[in-house]
Amino acid sequence: MIEVQHLTKRYGPTTAVDDVSFRVERGEVLGLLGPNGAGKTTTMRVLTGYMPPSEGKAIVAGYDVFDQPLEAKRRTGYLPEAPPLYPEMTVRDYLAFVARIKGVPRTERKARVGSVMERTRVADVANRHCGKLSKGYRQRVGLAQALLHNPEVLILDEPTAGLDPKQIIETRQLIKDLGGDHTIILSTHILPEVGQTCQRVVIINKGRVVAVDTPENLTSRLSGSETLYVQVDAPGAEVKEALEAIPGVTRVAPADARGSLVGFEVNSETGRDIRRELAAAIVRHGWGLLELRPLRMSLEEIFLHLTTEDTAAEGAPDSPSAPPEEAVHE
Amino acid sequence: MNNVLAIAHKELKGYFASPVAYVVIGFSAILFGWFFINLLYFFDRASMQAGAGFGGPQSVNVNEMLISPLFLNVSVILLFTLPLITMRTYAEEKRSGTIELLLTSPLTDLQIVTGKFLGGLVLYAAMLAVTVVHIGFLFAFGNPEWRPVATGYLGLLLMGGCFLSLGLFVSSLTRNQIVAGMVTFAVFLLFWVINWIATFTGPTMQNVLNYLSITEHLNDFARGVIDTKHLVYYVSFIAFSLFLTVRAVDSERWRG
Repeated sequence: MIEVQHLTKRYGPTTAVDDVSFRVERGEVLGLLGPNGAGKTTTMRVLTGYMPPSEGKAIVAGYDVFDQPLEAKRRTGYLPEAPPLYPEMTVRDYLAFVARIKGVPRTERKARVGSVMERTRVADVANRHCGKLSKGYRQRVGLAQALLHNPEVLILDEPTAGLDPKQIIETRQLIKDLGGDHTIILSTHILPEVGQTCQRVVIINKGRVVAVDTPENLTSRLSGSETLYVQVDAPGAEVKEALEAIPGVTRVAPADARGSLVGFEVNSETGRDIRRELAAAIVRHGWGLLELRPLRMSLEEIFLHLTTEDTAAEGAPDSPSAPPEEAVHE
Repeated sequence: MNNVLAIAHKELKGYFASPVAYVVIGFSAILFGWFFINLLYFFDRASMQAGAGFGGPQSVNVNEMLISPLFLNVSVILLFTLPLITMRTYAEEKRSGTIELLLTSPLTDLQIVTGKFLGGLVLYAAMLAVTVVHIGFLFAFGNPEWRPVATGYLGLLLMGGCFLSLGLFVSSLTRNQIVAGMVTFAVFLLFWVINWIATFTGPTMQNVLNYLSITEHLNDFARGVIDTKHLVYYVSFIAFSLFLTVRAVDSERWRG
């Protein structure tokens, strides 16, 4: 549905997006994740036909955004980072205007505007001027604007920015509902959002793709080695010794201690499940096993891991621009 | 065409939803009224003198003595007011980010530019429409010829179109309204006075400068003459400015 091939965008001497490639299948929700200035917005601007790429190409809904821009734009809804509202227009007038320039037939316009306002919950401010709206409403009117012509592809640049927690949940639910019928790319730097709304994630940093995967795979595959958390009711030093003796354990680090309770982080060799041996050893010593759970890297940690790894690699002079080993290219 | 009208409609709505339209129309009307009264007194005295027969002209023509100079005076008002209309057109869209909506909608650059131009032109026409009241008084109490009045308005509309298209182009180059307004004003003024130096130059240069002067072409319209030479000048001026605007918007995309 969306295909980005070797996309590069340079602004004068700076390269904002560097050889980015990815695909989005029909009905999929893809998260574009990266720190500020990573090239998310630029990528989206190329996809929406706002600016042409310096190199490479982008195909949206079967049309090259550069060669057949009008066809591609007819099938794309776009919420820019700053909702593009005209302050002196009322919400209803604004949406009617957008419906008109997006090519919604005259007879359907009113109904479309009404249903989209319901869907994005902005009907109660329909007659207010866009310039007088709160940030949350501005954002949702921006979203309404993107949905008006019922586009096949939705490109949302930070759709939940500026919303309060309740609105964030509602908006995420809306995006989830829209997926399936629509193909969606959304950008964000809020990581839990990706886990909740997206089927796949593209992590970009400094204009390059660092990883492409599902949120679940990213959390489990990128941990490197398996880490377990164990809490035992026993004297600490003895436990540490006993745990280190188990085959497959590479490291045992004290995590916390409360009274007679001690907690440890136990690392093991990758791919080796030592939970049974661990439990057996503790029971054998007659200690009380209170907790045993795998420690997954949260998306935050993975994200930091991937993006700082990249920075470290670039820090070295003349280092090749190859992505770090952790990168999972598809 | 629907797209062009959609943009024009939006522009007009923007003018009338903000104070811009009312300020521009209102204060232009005040200035026009002032010019009108001055010329009316002047005309009044001239016609008294003519009637008294002190060696002046035997009769005075209201078209020649009053309406024609009045139209030429209007160009002064345009010099100041039209930059105010055009300075926001592109600059404001770029500053507020709404340009992103227009450029990612299924519209061509030409449709957007033409729509904005039309919107400005309709506002300007509304501004001229107010002056019809003054001229109406002349028709009520005198007997001017209507044809020179009609061609005068046509000339003003075309000259305003030149200013508007030029202003649109300047506005497309910046995201700062003040810069757009000032540069537009300076360029307008330059086109207005470009032939002042004509008398000091050679015959070829003199013709060129006179031809370039935006107001020089208005004289014939104000006198009731529609010369294709002037029509070609105004229409090509507008077309070229709009073309430059389209190119400027397009190049902005490439520069990002």
